[in-house]
This record gives sequence, structure tokens and C-alpha cells, in this order.
Amino acid sequence: MKKLKIAPSTKNGASHWLHQRISAIAMIPLTIWIAISGIYIATDPLNYIAVFFAYPINAVMAILLIATALYHGSIGMRVIIEDYISCQSKKHFYIILINLLSIATAIAGILAITRLHLIG
Amino acid sequence: MNNKPTSPHIQIYKWNISSLTSIMHRISGVVLYATVVILCWYIVYYAYQVNYNEQSNYHNCECFITIFLKYFYYITLFSLVSALYYHFFNGIRHLFWDIGKGFNIDCSKKTGYIVIILTILATILSMAIALFLRYYI
Repeated sequence: MKKLKIAPSTKNGASHWLHQRISAIAMIPLTIWIAISGIYIATDPLNYIAVFFAYPINAVMAILLIATALYHGSIGMRVIIEDYISCQSKKHFYIILINLLSIATAIAGILAITRLHLIG
Repeated sequence: MNNKPTSPHIQIYKWNISSLTSIMHRISGVVLYATVVILCWYIVYYAYQVNYNEQSNYHNCECFITIFLKYFYYITLFSLVSALYYHFFNGIRHLFWDIGKGFNIDCSKKTGYIVIILTILATILSMAIALFLRYYI
């Protein structure tokens, strides 16, 4: 009998599954916060966005949101890439690209919000 | 090889609520990831060009995003807000599935319709509140 060939996965699905759920639970209060503050900012964008991050609660929630959302999103994009791209080298290339993009975006965004908080 | 059953082809597939919510969860997830990345880099741009000591110094960059938003502001905002609420409600549905509740077909169909109705209601309600506060108060 011919041995069934199974496509090799990227090997750490179980821990990613768990981390995806943990970050999803962490996203629930952050999503409620971004919905409420989005309505608040939309009432007068140019005046409110300048002082919005001066409040410590908003700066902390925004930093937590950036970190959690990019972590959750990079795992989700990894799952989608693993599902739809079959070429192994392309798959690994795109996963590494997404991870690097997420890390760079998170660091830059957190730094920018810290600046807005300090000068606001 | 060719006699194996293949996965459903998208052109001849009869849509039902479970496949629709599943693929919409993925699409809205990708959209939200792109939104978070673009918004983060916009905040970086904003934070390093703003200077609170001088008056009337705020100016937007003339890049693709702002030109696009100038013409398609409300349709973009509506899509992003509905994607956020959809991913939020359907994510809660997925978390309930993960703890083993709501797996039978009737219940999952019902929760699928509830998710879509809640998404529409929450999107319209929050945009209406924002527009009301912006233009009438």
C-alpha cells in the first residue's frame, strides 16, 4: 500500500490556536473601548484627536489595543496564509513578512502614542 | 486522482448561513488587520508632524489614503465599522463554540442570523449616534 503523503504543516498549530483565543478574549474590552472612543472622536475629529491620547486611560488602552490586535492579527494572517498558499517557500516567506510587519508596526505605533501622550 | 471529491467550487456552491459567516469572518479579519496597520502608520505620521506650541499647524498628507478618503469617506467608514462589529460578534460566537456550546445545526444557524442582525443594528446605531452628536449638538 502506498504511504499517504501528508503536507508538512508549520508545526506549532496548537499553541497558536490557544494564543489566538486568549488574545481574542483580551480584544473584547478593547473593542468596546475603541467603539466608544471612535464615536467620541468622530464628533469633532480635528480637536479631539489632538488631546485624546493625553488622558492616561486612552494612551494605555491604545497601546494595549495595538499590541493585542497585531498579535491576534498576525496569528490570523498566518492561519490564512497556511490555508491558501501551498508552495512551502512562499508560505514561509509570507509568514515571516507578516511577523516582521506586525512587530515594526507595533513598535512604531506604541512609540507614536507615547509621544502624543507626553506632548499632549 | 480525478475521481476524488473536491472541495466546493465557488461558482456552483449554494450559499448557506454557516459558510457565509465563516468566509465573512476571514475577510473581515484581513480587512481589520490592514486597517490596524495603516492606522498605526498614520498615527506615527500624525505624532511626528504635530506641534502643539504653534497654532493652526495641523495639515494632512496628500497621499493615496487621504485622497481616497476624501471621496469615499462614508462608504469606507461604514465598511470598516461593520467589519469591526461583525468580527467582534462572530468572534464571540466562535469563543462559545470553543467552550463547546451551540454546536447543533439549528442553534448555529440561529446564532448566525443573530450575529448578522446585531452587526447591522450596531453599525447603524453607532454611526447615527456619531452623526447626531457631530451635527446637532
